[in-house]
Amino acid sequence: MTEKNSEVSTKSKTEVLGKITTKKKIFIGSILGILILIPGSVFFADNVNYYLHMLLYTFMFIALASSWNMIGGYTGYTSLGHTVFLAIGGYLSGIAYLKFGISPFITAPLAGLLSVAFGFFFGLISLRTSGASFIISSIAMVLLFKISLDHWDYGGGTGGMYLPFLKIPLEYSKIPFYYAMLLIAVGAVYMSYRVRHSKFGLGLRAISQDEIKAEAAGIPTKQYKILAFALSGFFVGVAGSMWGFYLTYLRPSIFLTILLGAHMVLMSVLGGKGTVSGPVVGAILFIGINEFFVTKLGSSELNIVATGVLLAVVLLFFPAGIVGSLKARGKLPEVLDWD
Amino acid sequence: MTDSTIIFQLLVIGVTIGGVYALMASGLTIIFGVMKIVNLAHAALMMIASFITYFAFTNYGLDPILSVIITIPVMYLVGVIVYKVFFGSLEKDARFGELTVLLTFSIALIIEGTLGYFFTNTLRTVSVPYSTSSFWIGDVFLPKGQLYATLLSIALIISLWAFLRYSKLGNAIRATMQNSTAAQVVGVNIEKASVVAFGIGIAMGGAAGSLTTYMFPFYPSKHWEWIGILLSLIVLGGMGSLAGSFVGAILLSVTATFVSHFFGPTWSVATFFLALFIILLFRPQGLFGKKMEVK
Amino acid sequence: MPILQIEEVTAGYGVGPDILKGLSLNLEKGKSYCIIGPNGAGKSTLLKIICGLLHPRTGKVIFNGEDISNLRTDEILHRGICFVPQDFSLFPDMTVKENLRMGGYIIQDRDLVETRIEEVIEMFPILGEKSSDLAKTLSGGQQQMLAIGRSLILKPEVIMLDEPSLGLAPNIIQVIFDSIEKLRESGMTIVMVEQNAHKGLDFAEWGCVLDLGIARFEGPSDTILNDPRIQELYLGKIQRVAK
Repeated sequence: MTEKNSEVSTKSKTEVLGKITTKKKIFIGSILGILILIPGSVFFADNVNYYLHMLLYTFMFIALASSWNMIGGYTGYTSLGHTVFLAIGGYLSGIAYLKFGISPFITAPLAGLLSVAFGFFFGLISLRTSGASFIISSIAMVLLFKISLDHWDYGGGTGGMYLPFLKIPLEYSKIPFYYAMLLIAVGAVYMSYRVRHSKFGLGLRAISQDEIKAEAAGIPTKQYKILAFALSGFFVGVAGSMWGFYLTYLRPSIFLTILLGAHMVLMSVLGGKGTVSGPVVGAILFIGINEFFVTKLGSSELNIVATGVLLAVVLLFFPAGIVGSLKARGKLPEVLDWD
Repeated sequence: MTDSTIIFQLLVIGVTIGGVYALMASGLTIIFGVMKIVNLAHAALMMIASFITYFAFTNYGLDPILSVIITIPVMYLVGVIVYKVFFGSLEKDARFGELTVLLTFSIALIIEGTLGYFFTNTLRTVSVPYSTSSFWIGDVFLPKGQLYATLLSIALIISLWAFLRYSKLGNAIRATMQNSTAAQVVGVNIEKASVVAFGIGIAMGGAAGSLTTYMFPFYPSKHWEWIGILLSLIVLGGMGSLAGSFVGAILLSVTATFVSHFFGPTWSVATFFLALFIILLFRPQGLFGKKMEVK
Repeated sequence: MPILQIEEVTAGYGVGPDILKGLSLNLEKGKSYCIIGPNGAGKSTLLKIICGLLHPRTGKVIFNGEDISNLRTDEILHRGICFVPQDFSLFPDMTVKENLRMGGYIIQDRDLVETRIEEVIEMFPILGEKSSDLAKTLSGGQQQMLAIGRSLILKPEVIMLDEPSLGLAPNIIQVIFDSIEKLRESGMTIVMVEQNAHKGLDFAEWGCVLDLGIARFEGPSDTILNDPRIQELYLGKIQRVAK
């Protein structure tokens, strides 16, 4: 009697699972489709640039949060210095363009690779002992980078460098960056998805739960940690190289703030670190909240307070983030479950 | 000035600053030892004490060194309140450590933002006669202000050590630091030990915050620089070791003073961070630490 | 009346599953018990429940007629139950004497604690020799003796030991059990969890086999030792104990 029932239910389960996958594909596909088409509206609508700007930032933050999630969420090692990768990307592409005339769209992937290389060596040193030492190292790294860049005359020191507008008419100038950031966001989320559904990702999760047991179970914890950290730098570096040109200037005080690093953490934690869709949800929400706070409260000091309060509230009451909490209660919409 | 005089001079300056760093680090060390978390908000909390001292001085003329009498108990209370509000409800589960560190991060942000909002980021400092005058020993000068600060710091550190060694509560805290299960088993209320330890740690930081008002210019966002320095100190000394943080503080402070003299003041801060990475490379457990279990 | 009654206790850690699943057990005053069973059966959990490190989800723990299920550890210590956890649980950077002194943490009278320390040193002279040495410098056997000695400062009615022989060489194990023998002679109720089932059951008068969260078998220890079912399931293939 029971055998029969389970047969039936397994069958319908696969059907349902199949449905879920197709449903998800349609959902994601249509959203991407819309996003790709949006810039077209610049030909017939006003004020499109504002939306392009917001969406562009959202894409960038999605990429940043998803990347951070790889080391902070999957592996459980909190990095507070991820902005270093932004700076590496930004300065590499900036200098390549200013001094050698190479377009950032070419150097962007290289910026990503350089970030990975840096992440690899940095991880080699700082991932040897505990998570506590790692957090400390990440803070020290950011501060050290800031001091070094502030005194790096070749890179412009504290004043940084001015990067010219790319040779595109003003009305359309946001469009290339829009697509670049969209591509970066998709890339980062896709990488996050692939890692999560791999043996590597499984190992990372084991490390985040109990590193000693993971090591005992034969997982090469040190290699995995370093790889996760290095990978987490790629899209951040690429985003950094684009960002500098979008802002048209590079400055240590913009790229290397602790606050920006805090925002990366907040987005992931808010959305649900350790999940694939969490950072995406968190980034989107964060952009909205940030816009609200900036228009309502204005000054950056209150922004800092708000970031802290929001982070504390999420940590104390919803440590699994939005996606994680909803999932635990079985209320997560299927289209958002990418784990 | 002969070379050896310069070296001796730099040593003197380094040691007299190092004492204050050691005081700051001692609070961090206690908190780490008992709760096994890195308190990223330590320097931000110190900043509160700095502001208290600053306003007590500018409005009432209270000497910054004397203000320590106020800031120690006040910051102890602040520490207890912060603990109860933020950490009191946390369960001691597996994710305790990492979650709590992020929580201290958020506390730091809240403090920085609040202080920045009310007091803006202008550089402030307290000018007292002894902040610029010195004793002279032969060719070498001993900055008065720093000397006083270091002497007071050492006195406070010794008091802390004595408290931990000889008082019942101090022993309870030490026991919790060394083996929290065993401490529970002999009847120590480790929750209470944690609260008190946190309070004491912040109180130590508060004293340091008061002392630094006349030694360095301060502003709300400077706490990241401080915490970077302090964290490097305790990693060097071996996390959880009071002796280690003291030695680490003096060593790094002296080194930074030399770097400042030969390479310029802006690089002296970088010294701490570089030292951190060097230590992690060659002796990750620090000078006095045990091999830390991973996470 | 039994000195310790465990009634239908279920317990677990955090939000995890039940480790103890309705365990019931009665312990008589002055007797010695050995609890054996496979890993994960809940042996250590049971000891933690009794001494207050963990609270039962359902069920009760009754000591001398009083319900102690939800008391704190220090309250239970006051009532006379001491726990010696696994892996010695000493304070590594405190001296032997300081460790002993910590054993008397809940005693207000400092002089009484000092007197008790002297008494423990009389029972375990080696602790007197090493009284100023740091606990981490002691050998395995000495550390275990210190752990036991520390729990004696309170002169408990019941002493619970979690794997007293763990990690010790055979000749040292004998020394430890000789020490525990002294405790038995003084009338203490002894409850031990032992991975070394033979040694444990050999020493104790009564045995209890814990499996899957409940007490599977209970009885005089040599009955348990000689029971062929238990032998096969829990004691491995051994020769029958010579009569």
